[in-house]
Parts: sequence; C-alpha cells; structure tokens
Amino acid sequence: MINTAINEMIKSSGEWMRGTGPEAEIVISSRVRLARNIRGFRFITKMDATERGTCEALIQEKILEAKIAPVGAYIPLHKTEGIDRKFLVERHLISKEHEDAQHQRGVAIAENEAVAIMVNEEDHIRLQVLQSGFQLPEAWKLANRIDDELEQRLDYSFAPQLGYLTACPTNVGTGMRVSVMLHLPALVLTRHIEKVFQAVGKINLAVRGLYGEGTEASGHFYQISNQVTLGRNEEEIVKNVQDVIPTIVGYEHRARQSLLAKDRKRLEDRVWRAYGMLKYAQLLPSDEAMMLLSAVRMGVHLGLLKDVSLRTVNEMFIYTQPAHLQKLTGRNLEPLERDVRRAEFVRTKLNHTK
Amino acid sequence: MGMKCDVASCENEATVHLTEIREGKKHEMHLCERCAAEKGLPGKAHFSISDLLAGIASQAQSQAKPARRGKEAACPVCTTTLTQFQSSGRFGCPECYNTFRDDVQGLVEKIHDAAQHVGKVPRRVSSEISLQKDMRQLQLDLKRAIRKEDYEKAAAIRDQIKQIEDRLQIQEQAAEAQPPIKDVPAAPPKPAPPQNPGAKKKSDGGEKK
Repeated sequence: MINTAINEMIKSSGEWMRGTGPEAEIVISSRVRLARNIRGFRFITKMDATERGTCEALIQEKILEAKIAPVGAYIPLHKTEGIDRKFLVERHLISKEHEDAQHQRGVAIAENEAVAIMVNEEDHIRLQVLQSGFQLPEAWKLANRIDDELEQRLDYSFAPQLGYLTACPTNVGTGMRVSVMLHLPALVLTRHIEKVFQAVGKINLAVRGLYGEGTEASGHFYQISNQVTLGRNEEEIVKNVQDVIPTIVGYEHRARQSLLAKDRKRLEDRVWRAYGMLKYAQLLPSDEAMMLLSAVRMGVHLGLLKDVSLRTVNEMFIYTQPAHLQKLTGRNLEPLERDVRRAEFVRTKLNHTK
Repeated sequence: MGMKCDVASCENEATVHLTEIREGKKHEMHLCERCAAEKGLPGKAHFSISDLLAGIASQAQSQAKPARRGKEAACPVCTTTLTQFQSSGRFGCPECYNTFRDDVQGLVEKIHDAAQHVGKVPRRVSSEISLQKDMRQLQLDLKRAIRKEDYEKAAAIRDQIKQIEDRLQIQEQAAEAQPPIKDVPAAPPKPAPPQNPGAKKKSDGGEKK
C-alpha cells in the first residue's frame, strides 16, 4: 500500500531533527517512552490474529477520539511497504522490532513527529515523545498529558504493587524509558569515552549506539537511558538522567577545547578533509558518510567551518540513510547506486547551502 | 561499584559483570569494557537485558526445589510456562505476574532493586483505592453506631456505603465493557453482585484487590 502520510513526511525533517533546543550542539534529542497494556487482553506474543485486530482497532479508535492524532496519521504497518517501514525506523518513529514483525500493528504519528504511538509492539501501547535538544522534563510533560488522555478512554493493566504491567519485567512499574542522544566525537578522539561509560554505569544508566548497535561506526552518537523503571517515580527517573547529562556535555566541551588548544592543526585538517570529501566524493558508503558528517558537525560547532549550519548537517545524517535515499529517489536502489545517490545528495546540499 | 577489573595487569574499573553457571557452580567475572572486548565477551553496551533476565530466572529456578517433571505450572489465562518465559524473557499476559508471583518477585527485585511501584497511578485505580478506603472507614463507623444502638446514624452510614458501592460497581462495569479474552475463561470468577447488598456481605468484595 502506498502511504501518503509517509510520502508527505519525506519532504520535511521532523521536530527532533531541527538542531535547536538547549545544548543542541551536543544533545541531539530527548526522548520519553511509556509502555502500557490494556486490561482484558493477553500480551502480543500470546494473542491470536482476531485478538490483535480487536486490540489494535480499540486503541486506534481511542487515539482518534482523544484527538491525539488526526485521521490519516495512523499507519497500519502490516499493510505498509518494507521501504516505508525502514524509513520510520530511520526517523526513530518505530523500533526495529516493530518494523520486522509480521502481525497486525501500527503507529500513530503526531505533533510534527514529536509524538509516536506504536500499537501492538512488545506492549499494546508504546507512547514516545521525541524532542530536539536537551528538554527531558518537557518531553515527560507531553507524554504524561497524552497518557492521561488515553487512560480516560482505555483501561490499563495495572497492579498496585508492580505498577503498569508489561510483557517484559524490565519495564514494570512506571513503564518508562527516558533517553538522551548525544554526539560525542571529541571524547572518542581523545579516548575518554570509556570514562563516560564507567560514570554512567555506576548510576545504573545504560549507554547504547545510535540504533543500539556498533559504536565507532555510527557517527559518534550515543544514547544514555535509565534501566530501572520500578521503585522510583517518573520525575525521579527523569531527574536521574537529566542530572548526568550536563556532566557528559561538559566533558565533551572540554575535550573539544583541549583538541583546539593542543592539536589545532590536526583537528582543522580532520574537519576540512571530511568537508572536502563530502563536497567532492562520487561514491559514499553509509559508514563513511556518518564518520565524515560527524567530523563536519564538530567543525561547525567549533566555528572552524562557517559554510554549513548545524541543521543542514543534521538533515544530511538523516537523509543519507538507505530508506531515506530510496524514498527521495522514488525507487529501490542497489547498494552501489545508493552510494552514488548519497554522494550526489551530499554534494548538492553542500554546494547550495551558505 | 568501585570494583577493579579481574585482569591482574589492568587498573580499570570493572563495568562488565558476568555470572556463569558451570557444572552447577557459580563463577563470577568482573572486567573493564576493554578487557571484556579482548576476551571476546560482549561489553556492557551490547549486553542484552533479556539475556540477563533469562539467566537470572533460570538461576532462581535452579535454587528452588527440584520441579516435578512433566507437570510444569502454566498460566491459566495464556498457558505460558516458566520455561517459556525464560527463553523469551516475555510474559504472555498480565495474569502471569500473579501465576509466577514467587519467581517474579525475586527477579523484579534483582532488576530494579525495588519491589514497590511509587510512580503514576491511573485515575480509575486511584479513585477505586480511595473509595475502598472510605468504605472501610464507613464500615467501622457503622459497627460503632450499631454497638451504641444509634440506629438513625447507622441508617445514614448504610446509605453512604450504598452510594460508594454503586460507584465502584459502575467503574467495574466500565472496565468489563472491554472485549474479553477470546476462548479463555475471563478473569477469576467473581461472585454475582448481591441483590440487596448489606454492609457485611460486601466487606470481602472491598478487599478483593
């Protein structure tokens, strides 16, 4: 099925990619996710097709009724093409698991992509608020308000002792996962990233890569998130993550300054080489593009590069992902074609922006 | 916390903690990220929570009394067994939390280092809880009034109790308006609502939660 909502989305970049908001040079985005299940239904793995259908229809109806998302903003994923589902993963609007699943499921997208409600994921409802820059309390406030709206219309599975009951016991209690995406190239270059892992591990937070996989190759993006969901209230969980971020951001700033002070020529060379490659390369594999964009992004922030804006760099990160490229081109591309198209896209962007 | 990496020549702090069960014995390893990677072990960043969870659950089970073979307990609502839970790390329905209460409790405490939810409560549940609290108080008042032979007051209290019962029942009916789970006997059997609810009769209904 051709999805018009997705074809509209490709034309602009969503709320969280704006490259604005507090600490936006280092903090890419702030995210709050709530897991909820509906009383009277089994969890997804034990549901049969009919029950899944009923569950999805019920939640979809209530989302519309609460006016959280307009008609047409609900995307039934089992009827959506693979490329469109990948596109949603690249935009961080659905999980990899939700993309891959076979069963009846969907996602409602609202508020210029700041809100995404996955239906029939691991839990019946996975409500996500994703905002640009460092604004966790704001993200929680919005998530809480939407959750209140849904709660008035749906009977959540809840137990006084264990809180919101979820398919996986790692989410019980608040069902809340709070995460912040950081761009930490200088900490990687100065080999101090280990210290961040250690500091963060000590206070029970987790560190993951951009899409939860390999670290170095993913453009120096890291996600910091809470692991504990029970025994603390939502504000405490937000505060736990909130409190550690300025320290890490401070480390990254200091690492950038120390590179400038002690190794300026080498740093400039790295940034300008990356810029030159992006501006003239004819073939750009995805990993290489990520690394080069990462260097350029740091160069823009340090004022070494004045020809590009942070927003343009952020957009290039997103639009050079495979599904985005293919959506832009309007057809499926072989890997080599993709590298050609990626190089072309980046060249055009860099030669047109001032 | 503050533990040093097990590798003798390494001064880093251990952030990767592994527990392995070999021949029924527990072996623990504490390594820093780099030494763990050198040993080809997954670093903390790649260590999936569900792996950990399956490990803990099977540990909990091996410590428990030997299970009777071939007769593993299954959840009455969704038929999930403990073995299934261990391999997937996922429960089949909310009732599983009740069915496997003993195993879940230890597991949840290990994961979260806590056993009691203190966060948000759905309004429906919080109003139910506070109504039930009011109800218990009124029932005490009622007893006291009867003891004092103040029948006028007792009648007034009975009216109040009746009102709360009606509200609780409305909420319950609203909750049950959700479509029932298919081909499974819905929820634990509930006593039919009494025709003429007396204060005494309902007191066990109020504590059902």
